[in-house]
Amino acid sequence: MSERYSFSLTTFSPSGKLVQIEYALAAVAAGSPSVGIKATNGVVLATEKKQKSILYDENSIHKIEMITKNVGMVYSGMGPDYRLLVKNARKLSQQYYLSYQEQIPTAQIVQRIANVMQEFTQSGGVRPFGVSLLIAGWDDDEERPYLYQCDPSGAYFAWKATAMGKNYVNGKTFLEKRYSDNLELEDAVHTAILTLKESFEGQMTEDNIEIGICNKDGFRRLTPAEVKDYLASVQ
Amino acid sequence: MSILAYNGAAVIAMKGKECVAIAADRRFGIQAQTVNTDFQKIFEMGPRVYIGLPGLATDVQTVAQRLQFKLNLYELRENRRIKPKTFMSMVSNLLYERRFGPYFVEPVIAGLDPKTNEPFVASMDLIGCPMVTNDFVVSGTCSEQMYGMCESLWEPDMEPDDLFETISQALLNALDRDAVSGWGAVVYVIEKDKVTRKELKTRMD
Amino acid sequence: MALADVCGLKSTDFQARSLGLSCSSFDLYNALESSEKFSIPFNIDPLENLKYFTEKDSNVKIHFDHGTTTLAFKFQHGVVVAVDSRATAGPYIASQTVKKVIEINPYLLGTMAGGAADCSYWERVLARQCRIYELRNKERISVAAASKLLANIVYNYKGMGLSMGTMICGYDKRGPGLYYVDSDGERLTNNMFSVGSGSVYAYGVLDSGYKWDLNVEEALDLGQRAIYHATFRDAYSGGVVNLYHMKETGWEFISRTDVADLHYRYQDEKQAKKK
Repeated sequence: MSERYSFSLTTFSPSGKLVQIEYALAAVAAGSPSVGIKATNGVVLATEKKQKSILYDENSIHKIEMITKNVGMVYSGMGPDYRLLVKNARKLSQQYYLSYQEQIPTAQIVQRIANVMQEFTQSGGVRPFGVSLLIAGWDDDEERPYLYQCDPSGAYFAWKATAMGKNYVNGKTFLEKRYSDNLELEDAVHTAILTLKESFEGQMTEDNIEIGICNKDGFRRLTPAEVKDYLASVQ
Repeated sequence: MSILAYNGAAVIAMKGKECVAIAADRRFGIQAQTVNTDFQKIFEMGPRVYIGLPGLATDVQTVAQRLQFKLNLYELRENRRIKPKTFMSMVSNLLYERRFGPYFVEPVIAGLDPKTNEPFVASMDLIGCPMVTNDFVVSGTCSEQMYGMCESLWEPDMEPDDLFETISQALLNALDRDAVSGWGAVVYVIEKDKVTRKELKTRMD
Repeated sequence: MALADVCGLKSTDFQARSLGLSCSSFDLYNALESSEKFSIPFNIDPLENLKYFTEKDSNVKIHFDHGTTTLAFKFQHGVVVAVDSRATAGPYIASQTVKKVIEINPYLLGTMAGGAADCSYWERVLARQCRIYELRNKERISVAAASKLLANIVYNYKGMGLSMGTMICGYDKRGPGLYYVDSDGERLTNNMFSVGSGSVYAYGVLDSGYKWDLNVEEALDLGQRAIYHATFRDAYSGGVVNLYHMKETGWEFISRTDVADLHYRYQDEKQAKKK
């Protein structure tokens, strides 16, 4: 069975496009927005986490996940696909640590995750991931932050600041206006919240957004209380 | 006779003040028969990372080549030079992968951290158990003799010239009490802005 | 008792007899006085028992001095004898200054290969016998006879673990004499011999440079070179070259040269020839 039907579903259209990947990107663009901003002393990731019903327990499932002590990531697109990538990323990081007794550099984990995503565009019997990732990391050796985006095609880019998901064009335009090279992490968190706010429908609370920061002390997800404080200072 | 002593070899690495040195003999023999006296046992694995591979000559070359292979891939992939400590993990893994059919080499690693210039020396058994020390490491057929020399000659914070003299005397005098190693020696002194390679004149018996 | 247990010696007979306590015919003190009366363990095969000391995988092993290069050759002006000076125990170099030429008397030299103790002891015994011969017959013993004496003595102990490969060199009425005698009881004469782990290399050099009508200087140089090349190739040979010349007037000690010096001297010669 698996042998018979193990063709890749991602095939070229006569015009030379891989429409499956374009559909995947459409799934991302329809997903909830995420923002990432690199500051001088760290990186911030922020994302909208609107629940469809008030009955959900808001703090059970997270969109921002830690990969290693120094690396974390967030997604726009399909949640279940993201979980698989998180699992893979963590495993790859630990394999690197086993080989070298050293934490994986951000650029390396990004490259390896991108590899996984690329494989899903060429392998038989699978479809591309319906997610784009934002990966934030702190490089202990170079003592500097990194922000990467990784797309379903396996393409990846380093950003100073970017937005993905619903209304990402507006988000990017907003960031282009607000970004400066000497931004500090605290300000970056504010800017990230404001960027989300651009397209946010309804009241923004500590329960419907998630924020992660990464600096020399490593990566961590802010607690609802901390998010609440930031929201208060923004308003 | 141990297969590790089939070809004969002796390697020492020593720490100094902001410098390290690594030295080896140059004999390639088949048991008692000396075949060649310019056999390479120390390999440059980066501008400040060196590995000495005493042991079975065929495995010395295979391990050196496989390490170079892994290292080239690492440097292309990560676009940076490897740290001595990271390199040690790489060697350790390479050797442990052959836990049940080992390469007969007991490596010695010496280098400076590419960023901090911190001196680093370490040695390993043939299945990759790493041992990092603060003074010196030895490996080869006359390890007892080398330990004896190093214990009595080594002192902390030696300048490069002192370090060269110390490691050379330690190696030369150890070789004089070992039948299957010697026939020339080579010393590398590694400093942050230069590496000096010197060949030593030795007894040739 | 405890040591014998560790060594795996099983018979109690051996201990009582070898200590000379109970048995008068194999008295230890008598044995020490006479070379022909060694106390041989009664009722026990010494070869079998010595295995505990000589076999490789034994945990109580005695390392005999095996690695050596010795050589001697006859030529028109006598015999050249050259030897190295290294003693090894496994790969460990125990000494670089061993005297491997045994000066039996002014007209006889013996070389040492194999067990150092066996060689020096039995050649000392030979020296005594030769002196007795001289006193009895009022003339020097021939090299042939001397070597035969040694061969006969060691033949008595064949199979008991003696280890020696020696060359008896001398000068007598018949001219220069050279005999090879070993612990198997073998005794040969020829113009040239080399014994020891480095002998193959020494032969190589000797064969390419040997002629009967070498002059003294050439002959001595050939001997020295042969030993040097053997020390270079053979890990178990080294140290210095001891060089002797056996002449009609008896032996003369020529030189004692560190092979390290020889190496760089020969290297310079080669370099000079190239230019």
